[in-house]
Amino acid sequence: MEATVLDSWVLAEFETPDVLVDATRQMREKGFQGMDTYSPYPLHGGSEALGLPPSKVPFIALCGGLTGLTTALAMQTWMNTYDYPLNIGGRPLLSLPAWVPITFELSVLFAAFGIFFGLLGLSKLPQPYHPVFESDAFRTASTHGYWLSVPHATGQDASAVIDQLKALGATQVTVVTGEKE
Amino acid sequence: MAQTAATAPLDPLEPRDLVAPHHDDKSLNETLLDHVWRKPGKGWFMLFGLTLSALGLLVVGVTYTLARGIGVWGNNQPVGWAFDIINFVWWVGIGHAGTLISAILLLFQQKWRTSINRFAEAMTLFAVMCAGLFPLLHTGRPWFAFWLFPYPSTLGAWPQFRSPLVWDVFAISTYLTVSALFWFVGLIPDLAALRDSSKTKLQRTIYGLFALGWRGSGRHWHNYKIAYLLLAGLSTPLVVSVHTIVSFDFAVSLLPGWHATIFPPYFVAGAVFSGFAMVITLIVPARKYLGLRDVITDRHLENMNKVILATGLIVSYGYMMEHFVAWYSQNQYEMWTFYVNRATGPYAGVYWLMIACNVITPNIFWFKKCRTSIPIMWVASIAVNIGMWCERFIIIVTSLSQDFLPSSWGIYTPTWVDWCIYIGTLGLFGTLFLLFLKFVPAVAISEVKELQLELKHARHNSHGAH
Repeated sequence: MEATVLDSWVLAEFETPDVLVDATRQMREKGFQGMDTYSPYPLHGGSEALGLPPSKVPFIALCGGLTGLTTALAMQTWMNTYDYPLNIGGRPLLSLPAWVPITFELSVLFAAFGIFFGLLGLSKLPQPYHPVFESDAFRTASTHGYWLSVPHATGQDASAVIDQLKALGATQVTVVTGEKE
Repeated sequence: MAQTAATAPLDPLEPRDLVAPHHDDKSLNETLLDHVWRKPGKGWFMLFGLTLSALGLLVVGVTYTLARGIGVWGNNQPVGWAFDIINFVWWVGIGHAGTLISAILLLFQQKWRTSINRFAEAMTLFAVMCAGLFPLLHTGRPWFAFWLFPYPSTLGAWPQFRSPLVWDVFAISTYLTVSALFWFVGLIPDLAALRDSSKTKLQRTIYGLFALGWRGSGRHWHNYKIAYLLLAGLSTPLVVSVHTIVSFDFAVSLLPGWHATIFPPYFVAGAVFSGFAMVITLIVPARKYLGLRDVITDRHLENMNKVILATGLIVSYGYMMEHFVAWYSQNQYEMWTFYVNRATGPYAGVYWLMIACNVITPNIFWFKKCRTSIPIMWVASIAVNIGMWCERFIIIVTSLSQDFLPSSWGIYTPTWVDWCIYIGTLGLFGTLFLLFLKFVPAVAISEVKELQLELKHARHNSHGAH
């Protein structure tokens, strides 16, 4: 289960990706929930450290592909066999081999849409505003910084969390607050 | 290389000089983003002016065609298809290297693709856009192009799904869409990097809009990695299917020189061949101008030349098989096409140019000296591009101009409008490409960084084992 989204985060920067993954794992073992890592490229072992369940993208892609497949077959059969039959040299109206190219293309197209919109949907993108952007230092997350965010309840003292993060090797720690998602 | 047995189990094929080892994440950023933030130099503007003028020719050619009808083109009976389909197939073929580099090499875990995939994918997109123009204009009334799609029209008619031309419509539009999605998904993390290192508010806003709010979250990467891999997995059969379907346009007909079962694989190989050649043609000057030698190393160029050699041999085999089957069938029309018309007929010059460029040229890459020499590979890559264009010309024009009945033979000559549109698409391609080089990182930064880290780990492990 996801932890409820709170509106205050502790952001900590780490020196290297390996330290970050390590720190994430240890923080999770301590019972922190709803944490997130931020890095310019996927961290090796990052998903495991966060304890994420397997991605749903492949399932959505499969559904997309199957939708494309059935749409294409149904469309071609109905349009060329029943609704608008054209007799060309007496060739069969329902000619499955001729349906293959378009069926394949539409399956791929719908699967690709599934992947793309699935990715956006699961990641809740586009999301032009997010509280982490409030921190100027956080801008390194997309270039050369490795960050960890730990949510904590508003008004609660964050110093305990900060101390623990520093003990795990955080080079700088900031606290951001923002609107509720 | 003084590689010991300790490093061998890692991967004997793993090249060690993919990224100059002195780089860390920060300096990679600076190197790879530099050309976006830097003001373009004189060279860029001169090239841009050149491609814009060529683009002007496209406007002239297309406007004239739309105003007067496609009668202003050189094609007529018996050559009903000429420049438009030649250029269409040629451009689609060029596009294929992009997807191949991105997708197939990703699936095969060829690490060297990382530095060139962004480049090649951009090439795919722009090439497919150029390709799409030709069938569109060939319809004569492109404003009715939507008739090709199945939509509930008041005419009560549906497209004929048993026709390869309708297959083409679906293949090309799917290919363009999926390539664009693949390219964009790959770009998102780099757009975020651009957003976060931008200097002005305007830049930050624009790149921010395109980055969709990407913040490199572990939860996002978790879905992203698998999504990117799946898109690559989908693109791989897609690439093969698109050129196969394009070749069906010819292969399902009965014309001598077209009616061949070798067409689908032979077209796919030809596409990869010309596509890789185009990548070399573009990347050699671009990496110099953009200062990307640290990530696009000589090793990359050499690997690409090996692919050109391999696909060039497949293409040569395709030619051999066409000739062999023509002889083996003992069909007089086939024999005429291959042994008389193509080799000695009115277009013999183009035929022999094709043989020189496509069969002989790639063989120079057997020699390491040629594979690694920048001037030689650049000239060879241009020769391959010309050769592949000649191949399309030969397939289409020789077969149509002299088929079964000598009384209905005819000669095709392109008009100035044909040339305007062809050169114009080169201009369109060049313009889009220069804009791409200006506004978007030409190398997939996040992937290069990831690779850099992996290489560091590998190096570390191999040292540790000593």
